[in-house]
Parts: sequence; C-alpha cells; structure tokens
Amino acid sequence: MSSLSKMPELVLENIIGFSDFRSVLTLRQVCRDFRNFIDDLNDSKLPDSKFTKIEIISEKNENKIILDFFHSKKSFDCIEYSEMENSRKFQEKMTNLENSNIVDVVIQDLKLILKFQKSNLEFLSFCFADFQLQKDSSIHNLPIKLRNILHESNQKIKAKKFTIKAHNQSQIMSVPPFADPETLEFIDLHSFDDDKKIQYDEIIKTEQWKKAQMFRSEFHLLNLNVEDICHFSPCILTTNRITARDLDFLKKTYIRSSKFNFSIFELKNFNENDEISNLWGPAFSVESKLHWYFRMKNCEEKILHMEIFLARYFKCYIIEMNHVHNGAIVHDYNEN
Amino acid sequence: MSSTEQGTSSAAPAEPTTAPESAAAPEVPESFYYVHGKDKVVHKVSAGALQHSALIHGMISNLGYTEEQAKANPFPFENIDGDILQMVVDWCNQHKGKPTPPEDTNLPKQKEKLFDLVLAVNYLEIKELLTYCCKQVAMMVKGKSPEEIREIWMIPTDAEDEAAEKEAKKRAGKEAAGETAAAAGDAK
Repeated sequence: MSSLSKMPELVLENIIGFSDFRSVLTLRQVCRDFRNFIDDLNDSKLPDSKFTKIEIISEKNENKIILDFFHSKKSFDCIEYSEMENSRKFQEKMTNLENSNIVDVVIQDLKLILKFQKSNLEFLSFCFADFQLQKDSSIHNLPIKLRNILHESNQKIKAKKFTIKAHNQSQIMSVPPFADPETLEFIDLHSFDDDKKIQYDEIIKTEQWKKAQMFRSEFHLLNLNVEDICHFSPCILTTNRITARDLDFLKKTYIRSSKFNFSIFELKNFNENDEISNLWGPAFSVESKLHWYFRMKNCEEKILHMEIFLARYFKCYIIEMNHVHNGAIVHDYNEN
Repeated sequence: MSSTEQGTSSAAPAEPTTAPESAAAPEVPESFYYVHGKDKVVHKVSAGALQHSALIHGMISNLGYTEEQAKANPFPFENIDGDILQMVVDWCNQHKGKPTPPEDTNLPKQKEKLFDLVLAVNYLEIKELLTYCCKQVAMMVKGKSPEEIREIWMIPTDAEDEAAEKEAKKRAGKEAAGETAAAAGDAK
C-alpha cells in the first residue's frame, strides 16, 4: 500500500490546498517530512485560518503568556505558556518546552499561525504586564522580540484595530510598526496605571499613524500638537493643556471634514476662556458647560457642537439643527 | 427549482448533436489505443477518453498510429496495478468529452485504493481526477489527530523513522564488513 508520506510534492500540495487550517497544523505534527514540507511551502498555498481576532497577553500571575485565537465573537482557541512550569498548554494537552525559552516558543508559534491568516483581522490585541522588575523572568522581552522577528521577516499584520494595553512607552511604541498601514483603521492605547504619561513623537512619523482614522489613548500624551491628531475621528485622548488657538485649528479642520464624527479630550486645565471667546464670540453657558455651534461646510442642517466642561473636558461632535440650545447662536460657515 | 431541472433534462438529448466530437464522427472514425498495467490486461480506450490524461494525450498525438499499429503496441504502465488502471480507464470513459462536475462521489473509499489511484492519476497527469482524489484525502484527514493519521496511513513517527534509518545503516555496515571479510578470505 502507498503511504501518505510517500506522495509526490504536487499531490501533497494539492491535499494541503483542499484542507482546512486545522488539518494542515495536524499534518504538520504527523512527521518531520510533512513539517518541513509545509514550512517550506509558499504562504499562498496554505489555507486561510480566518481568525477574526487574536489576543496576545502576558500575565504576571504565574508568569504566563496567553494567545487567544477567535473564530467568531464567542468561539476561540487558547494556548497558554507558563514560564514557571516551562510548558505550553493547548486543549488540556501539556507540552514541556525543555530548554526552549518560552518567549521564543510563543513567537515561533505566533509566526507559524500568522502564515495562515489571509483575511484581515478585525482586531489584534496586546496586553503587556510589567515584567521589568522581575529579573528572573524573560517575559519582558516579548514586545521587543515580537518587534524584531516581524521586522526581520518584513511581515505586517493585517488588522483593522490594534489595541495595546501596557505600562510604559517602550511597550506601546513597539507594537504599531507591526500593523499593515493599508488595513489599520483604529489605534487604541490602554494604560494599566492612572495618569501615565508618554511621549508620542516616535509614533507620529509612522505610516500607521498617518493612515489610521480612529484613535483612543488612556495614556496622557505629552506636548500634544493638534496637527498630529486632527485627522482622527473619533479621537479620544488625555493631555495636559490645549490652547484656544489649538481649539480654533480643530474647529476649522472639523467643519471642513466630511468624515468627522466626534472628539473627546481630557485636559489638566483649560484656562484660555477669554482667548476662545475672542476667537469664537461669547459661549452659550449652561450649568458650567460652555457651548459653541458652527454650521458645517456643505451641509446646512449639520452643526458642529463644541463643548467645554469644568475647564477639564473638551467635547466636539455633530448634531442636527433642532438639538441646538434655545437662544444659542449658530455661527454660519466661514472660510476664516 | 423544478423548472430548471426540467430545462436541463430536456436539453440533455440535444447534447450529442451539438458536441463537436460527435459532429465530426461520421467523417473521421474514432481512433482507439491500448493500455495495460502490471497485470498485463489490455484495455481498449478511445482517444477522446484518453484526452483526460495529459501524459497519454501527449504521447499519442505525435505517433499517428494506424489501428493495427496501436493494437500491436499497447502502452505499458508497469507501475500501475491492474485494478487501479481499470478505475482510471472507467473514469476517462465516463467523463469522455464532458465537462467534469465539481464533486465526484464515486471514488474508492478504501484508503489503500485511493492512494494508489492518486499516484497513478498523478503519473498519468489527469488533472480533474487528481483534484477529486486530493479533496477526498483532505476530507479523510479532517478532524483526525496526528496519531490517528499516522495509524491510518502507516506513517512512522520521527523516532521510529530515525531508528529504522539507524538499523538500515547498521545492516549496510555489517554487510559491507561481511563483504570485506569475505574479500579478505578470498585473498588468502
């Protein structure tokens, strides 16, 4: 009888082409010859893994790294790597990693699985716990090693939304370069700590930053320049201060934009009420909220609503004419 | 649904008259060739049916054999078992001059036959049939564990494979040693 392992290459290639992603991973485990054959195969000949979301999580609890692969919102596969036990666990099956470093194993596994991902991910999520202070753990290398390996292979991950939850700037900055700029729509930064400050000047030069449309940051952005973020909508961020001139620049950008949706800024303190009144005229004031209304360009019925609350929150969004406060002035569109 | 089915069934009898091969049939009689496998049983197959095999089609298109020459020179496929060649010939006859359907459910379900068929079909370069066979193998792999796949298709594990290699080397080494010993004996 002819054995499956003695099949000519063209035949194996055909069989793999008709198999699903799981079957190919299984075939890869059958024997060395299959593994080499599959690993040498051009990515285009592999079936699509069709994941919608991938999560990469490092957890301080037991020094673990977890990879979650979602097929849909509710169904996912989870691989758990434990540094303490030096093991990998998948569907109740434990594998001892022997002399391998777990970060290297995670990256190899991830790289292998990403070879199969052809459709765009809706969501790629990173969560980096703080391992800097744990001298005996190598997990703090995860963001940097991930960055290096993807950089080496010049591989970009096609995901619409990148979410990063982290402790510090270097962890945050290591991730966006992975993203395929043509696919990326949303950069979403979350912080483990309250009021953590980051410099963001490194990231704004990237293609990813320029091409993304939506942005959210729980990190406090130092030295915000509104020109760097005026193309995002929604744009949700926190920063120390913003000037009346900055707000006027945003207003002018937003009323001309057909894509603008909303912006929310949390500020340390806004103390340029006089300057903004000089630029925009007196605010319509209700319960410590200051409101201004501006007609959008090319749309008479749509009104840009600017709102400053308690000198700490700046909100800007589009409303219909009939939602304007009674008695408030609506400024007509003006090029200047 | 029913109306389209009626449509295709009523169109079916009309097909032969529109097919170019049958239209040409009255003038040029169909040529036949002969093939046999390991068991030497000769099968007479029309050139039309053999078109499915890129290998045989390539061979016959340059020969210009007469009926007698073709009969006297059957193509030998010593690497293909007789029953497998029979399957291939049947498939080619059934699908002669017809567009092949997206699925073929008549493939052998026994894995031994299927694998031999795959090898034969790959050798004979029958593209559509190879596609069906590979789909069938992919179906049989689906949902199985690596251990199950190894067991079903008798694939040794890497460790077994290495052990077998070592054993083979050892045996080769011993034989070589035996030969040199014998040679040394001869020299004496």
